[in-house]
Amino acid sequence: MPDHVATDFREYEPPVPPTDTFDVVRSEDGRWYTVTGPCPTCRATVVFRVAYGVLGPTKRLLGRGRRAPEPLTGSIPVYCQCGYPHAERPPESPDSGCGAFWEVPVPAPGPGTST
Amino acid sequence: MTDLAKKRFAQLGQQLQLDQLTAVRRQAEGWRNGLTGLTGLVGVVFVLKGRESVAGMPAVWRWTTAALLVSAFVLLLIGALGAVRAAHGQLGQRTWLTGDRLFAAVLDEVERTQDALTAARRTSVVGLCVIVAAVAVSWAVPADDSKEPATAVPHVLVVTADGPRCGELMAGDTRTLTLKVAGEKDKSGGRTPAAGEWRSIPLDQVRSITPVRGC
Repeated sequence: MPDHVATDFREYEPPVPPTDTFDVVRSEDGRWYTVTGPCPTCRATVVFRVAYGVLGPTKRLLGRGRRAPEPLTGSIPVYCQCGYPHAERPPESPDSGCGAFWEVPVPAPGPGTST
Repeated sequence: MTDLAKKRFAQLGQQLQLDQLTAVRRQAEGWRNGLTGLTGLVGVVFVLKGRESVAGMPAVWRWTTAALLVSAFVLLLIGALGAVRAAHGQLGQRTWLTGDRLFAAVLDEVERTQDALTAARRTSVVGLCVIVAAVAVSWAVPADDSKEPATAVPHVLVVTADGPRCGELMAGDTRTLTLKVAGEKDKSGGRTPAAGEWRSIPLDQVRSITPVRGC
C-alpha cells in the first residue's frame, strides 16, 4: 500500500474503512489526546492532537486542587493533516491535507488504548 | 452529506491550541482594565463622604477604620499586581523551547494566568468591600467631641493675687483681661439667663493663665 495517494483536495467526510485502526492516546498529565491513524482518503498517517483548554477564569478557590481534566468522551473530529500538496487546494485554505475529515471514537478511560 | 461546521470547529480548536495563551492574556488585560475602573469608581461614589479624618472618633473605631483601610490597601495591591501578572506574565519564566515542552509550558501558563486572574478578581472585590466598610464605619460612628459646640469659647483659669477665677476668655489687651464668668445655678439646676457676668482683671494682678475644658 503506498504511503500516500495524491487525491484532489476536497472537503468532505468519507466513510472510515472498518479495517482502519486509530490510536487514541491520552497524555500522562491528562491534558491532551493524540489521535494517530490513516487518512481514509489519501492514506497518509495523520497525527492529530487535541488539548484541554480553558475558555474563562476558573472557579476554583485560589487555584487549589488542580487536577487532570475529566476524560474526554464521545468522539474526536479529525481532519487530514498529512502535509502533502493536494491539487485544487485553495491557496487561502488553512488546510495542510487532502481536506477529508472524519470522527474517531474515544475509547473508555485508560492510557494507551486504541480502537 | 457533509457537515463542514464540524471541520471548521475542529480547525478552530487546533488554532486555539496555538493562540490560547495570547487569547488568555488579552482576556486578562480586559479584566485588569475592568478591575482598575471598578477601583476608581469607589473614589467617584464616595465624593459625598462624611468625615475627613479619623480624628475625633473613639479609639476602638479609629483603629478599626485604620485596620480596614490597611487591609483594603493590601488586598487592592495584591489584586492589581495579580491582574498585571495575568495580563503580562511572570518575569523570568523559562522553558526548553522544544515543541512538546513548549506545548506543555503554554498549557501550564494558561492555567497559571487563569488562576492569577481569578485571585486578582477576588482580592480586588474583597478590597473594595473593605474600603466601603471603612467608609461606612467613619459615617456611622459618632464623634467623641460631638457634645462640645464647635464655636465654644475656650475657658481659662486665671490665678490672680485675690485667688483663682475661671471663665470664658472674651478679650484681652495690654492692661486687662476680660472673662465671662459663669453665674450661679438656679433651683432647676440650669444656669440663669444672666449667667454671663463679665469681669475685667488687671494684667498686673494675673499670676498665671491656664486653658481648661470647663469651669
